[in-house]
Amino acid sequence: MSSTTAPSGLARARRGLAPGGSGGGPRKLNEGLNRKSKLSGQTSRTFFWLLLPSVVLLVLIHGYPLVYAGVQATHDGSLIDTGNFVGVDNFATVLSSPAFWKAAQFTLWFTIVGVFGSWAVGLGLALLLRTKIPAGSTFKVLLLLPWVVPIVVSSTAWNWLVATPDSLIPALFRNLGLGTPLFLADPNLAAVLVMVFKVWVSFPFMMMMTSAALASVDTTVYEAASMDGATKWQQFTQITLPMIARSTYISWILMTIFCVNDFPTIYLLNGGGPVDATTSLVVLAYRKVFQDFQTGPGVAIAFLMTLTLVVVSVFLYRQIRKSSVE
Amino acid sequence: MSAVLHAHPESGPSLGVDGPDRARRVLSEAGMRGRWWRFALILAITALVLVPIMVTVILALTPGPNSTAIGLTLENITGVFSRTLAATWLQNSLVTTLSTVAVSVAVAAPAGYVLSRGRSKAVSGYSLLLFVMQSLPIITSVVPLFILFAGMGLVDNLLGLTIIYVGSTMTVATWMMAAYFDSIPISLEEASWIDGCSVFGSFTKVVLRNSLPGVLSTAIFAFLLAWNDYLVAIVFLRSNEIFTLPVGVQSFFQQNVTDWSAVMALAVVMMLPPIIVFATLNKYFSVGGIGGSLAGR
Repeated sequence: MSSTTAPSGLARARRGLAPGGSGGGPRKLNEGLNRKSKLSGQTSRTFFWLLLPSVVLLVLIHGYPLVYAGVQATHDGSLIDTGNFVGVDNFATVLSSPAFWKAAQFTLWFTIVGVFGSWAVGLGLALLLRTKIPAGSTFKVLLLLPWVVPIVVSSTAWNWLVATPDSLIPALFRNLGLGTPLFLADPNLAAVLVMVFKVWVSFPFMMMMTSAALASVDTTVYEAASMDGATKWQQFTQITLPMIARSTYISWILMTIFCVNDFPTIYLLNGGGPVDATTSLVVLAYRKVFQDFQTGPGVAIAFLMTLTLVVVSVFLYRQIRKSSVE
Repeated sequence: MSAVLHAHPESGPSLGVDGPDRARRVLSEAGMRGRWWRFALILAITALVLVPIMVTVILALTPGPNSTAIGLTLENITGVFSRTLAATWLQNSLVTTLSTVAVSVAVAAPAGYVLSRGRSKAVSGYSLLLFVMQSLPIITSVVPLFILFAGMGLVDNLLGLTIIYVGSTMTVATWMMAAYFDSIPISLEEASWIDGCSVFGSFTKVVLRNSLPGVLSTAIFAFLLAWNDYLVAIVFLRSNEIFTLPVGVQSFFQQNVTDWSAVMALAVVMMLPPIIVFATLNKYFSVGGIGGSLAGR
């Protein structure tokens, strides 16, 4: 019995029909509707049970907190107490504070540099590693290490390298006669350092994404192009980039989300300082809630980020789907 | 007949192929030189990139200020284990991470199967929901979860930490599994249905059994996320003996004088497991899978 029922339900699902069966399929599939809907009923029941644990977790870890965060953002409570309803007061407080806009601005720069910096480095290395190099695959693995090693470890190492005037890198600058840069004390230098650190952490991800995309590019195209007299640069801009465009687009999207939500890279390197020069929105929200105990404004900041990201990610998701249909 | 065949390969090189062959040899010499230039370039880049990691290892193996050891030594590492709770933290990290990996794959694999095979509105809606949820900042859910878990005794508790890790790895893990299942032809399942297998049976016996690379890739992803996490751990863990390694290492900085030898020794211990996992399972892992799953949904 189940031997015939299950396949028909799944095969129909595969062809683009609802597992439930009744919803709008071509008429000829509705022949023997009774038997089929019972069979595909079994499929959708199995699907339901297969999906259930994931749905429960999604509701518990993502859904419920999101709703509750909405409640907290409109109350003047603390971690222990919900407090009174204050409407949009928290949002007004947050939106009128210079700290918020400063953090938003830093987050924007951090994201732009993080995405395109790591992409440029990752793309360059992926192109280099695509050519024949002795021990190429070993380098490929070694270059993944910045992404694999815990941020707690790498931020500690970076800290040791730059933190004090006598640390290795400032001492090196001094010996080269370039002065003694205080990477963690000077606001501008600290911002640059955090971004460089982010690129260092993230470029292996971009390298892996690009390598995977490059592997599927047909190399005979290049031979044909060079016979037609295309320069290396033309081959790169006219063939390579368009061929990996979709994967590039997806990697930008993912990295944008990673950068906006990044906490440890910024917080562990410099705690968001000096004088808030490297405070991103996530770090600001964390500080408000867990150090200033202003739960309402803190959650309001996180909620504003969330709303922005929901809108942006739904839009991007549609774009990806559209481009994958074409 | 055989003589003709035999003669052909001998006459071939001496006649027509000579020219291109020489050209190819010249090319390959230039190619060889280019290869070694590129080798030098990538060697220099890799060395520069790995400076922070090499610094960590060297400092961990260099004798501390009060040490009598000469050259490189393991005494920092043995010292940090005997003087601090490092062994407990390591155990906590391992338990949390391995449970996260196991449960996350167990939840994501069946869900990924539904995403891969189902084509209803509800399924594609769920896929969108997963994408939106994973793109939200974890800080938004951390505060409400903290309050919820406090009421259930799950704050300062490794079980509570594991539940959050499973929840936050599950979204991307589901996609990765779905992307892998997409590459398995449905004809395999159809064959098993004809043999009388149920939908669930064919999923476990046919699909899952052929999905080891997909499962490993997802497991590595969950491992990295759980092992490297700092934000959730710092919020949810309060007492010293419940710390995981990232929080443990950070606790060294709260003392007046940072003991760099101890910090670096523990840092080396902390980066070994992910490096070992990557070194051995690297060929199974592809972030292409993460992107591919996004594109395929």
